[in-house]
Amino acid sequence: MKRFDLELCVGLFMILGILCMGYLSIKLGNLEVLGSQGYEVEAVFSNGGGIKSGSSVVIAGVEIGRVKQVGLNDYQARVLMDLPFDVKIQEDAIASIKTRGLIGDKFIEITPGGSEELIGPGGRIRDTQSAVDLEELISNYVFGKL
Amino acid sequence: MIEKYRIRHCLCSLLGGFLLMVILTSPCFAGAPTDGIKKTTDRILVIVSDPALKGPENREKRAQLIRQAVDEQFNWEAMTKRSLARHWRGRTEAEKKEFIDLFGKLLERTYLDKVGSYSGEKVIYVGETIDGKYGTVTAKILTHSRTEVLVRYRLKETNGDWRVYDISIEGVSLVNNYRKQFNSIILRSSYDDLVAKLREKVAEKD
Repeated sequence: MKRFDLELCVGLFMILGILCMGYLSIKLGNLEVLGSQGYEVEAVFSNGGGIKSGSSVVIAGVEIGRVKQVGLNDYQARVLMDLPFDVKIQEDAIASIKTRGLIGDKFIEITPGGSEELIGPGGRIRDTQSAVDLEELISNYVFGKL
Repeated sequence: MIEKYRIRHCLCSLLGGFLLMVILTSPCFAGAPTDGIKKTTDRILVIVSDPALKGPENREKRAQLIRQAVDEQFNWEAMTKRSLARHWRGRTEAEKKEFIDLFGKLLERTYLDKVGSYSGEKVIYVGETIDGKYGTVTAKILTHSRTEVLVRYRLKETNGDWRVYDISIEGVSLVNNYRKQFNSIILRSSYDDLVAKLREKVAEKD
């Protein structure tokens, strides 16, 4: 009887450990198991600048969502974002790709607009600002004067 | 002081847009938005290159003519509304009117003088997209030093009339630029303070 108790304890402990591992890998890997808790909005940028799924979507410096998918659409970057239902995006909002620091991670910043019309699930942010290509700027400056 | 510097800085980047308006000269393909922009640009170009309107004594008249041409192509209300963004809704009709007027004057004051520095830069229309009521016109300015400047106009159609509500130069949007500045000024102090700042800027002598 005593031996059985010990084995049960070890078993339970193992199961608990595996559950913890699973939880950790989902959390740290930013995976979604139960589907998204919000709605999707797309935006097309002429230059994605290396944005990838999992990148943050930010309003006023606060992370409100994440990039769900990045694809090519007519040789432009089409970015699908996952936003929570309680964050409303106006029809005239502007999405821009920014860099953390000089060479840091890329993220998407949304500057809210003033329109009464809101972007619904599956809608599109029309006004976008692509990543600033530092290299191109430098080369324009360096090689510009021919 | 920093505010002043920032406003001046962003105004300078705006210059490119108006300069572009003046410069668009190359032949273009069909499409109502492109046609409208080309027409306005050509009109401004005629004004700027008119020898009868050159010189400081004709500045006033030239400015008036250019403003007239720009007014026909720009939707100032949409531009101002987008720039004020969420602070637009709380304004009264009178305040809105006043702000549209001030904002227009600010852009005019900043860029009109620079238009005179046009020296035959070429403009090529690269493309146009139309998506329902919205459209974009992309153009490239070729400077003498062979640098290309990419300019994108965003237009909206109302009653068959395409009007510009935003200009992006090298991917930097005018509206977004002002939206952020207006927002930060209003949050830090107040709307009245922003209006006072704009008034001061507009009244400033060169």
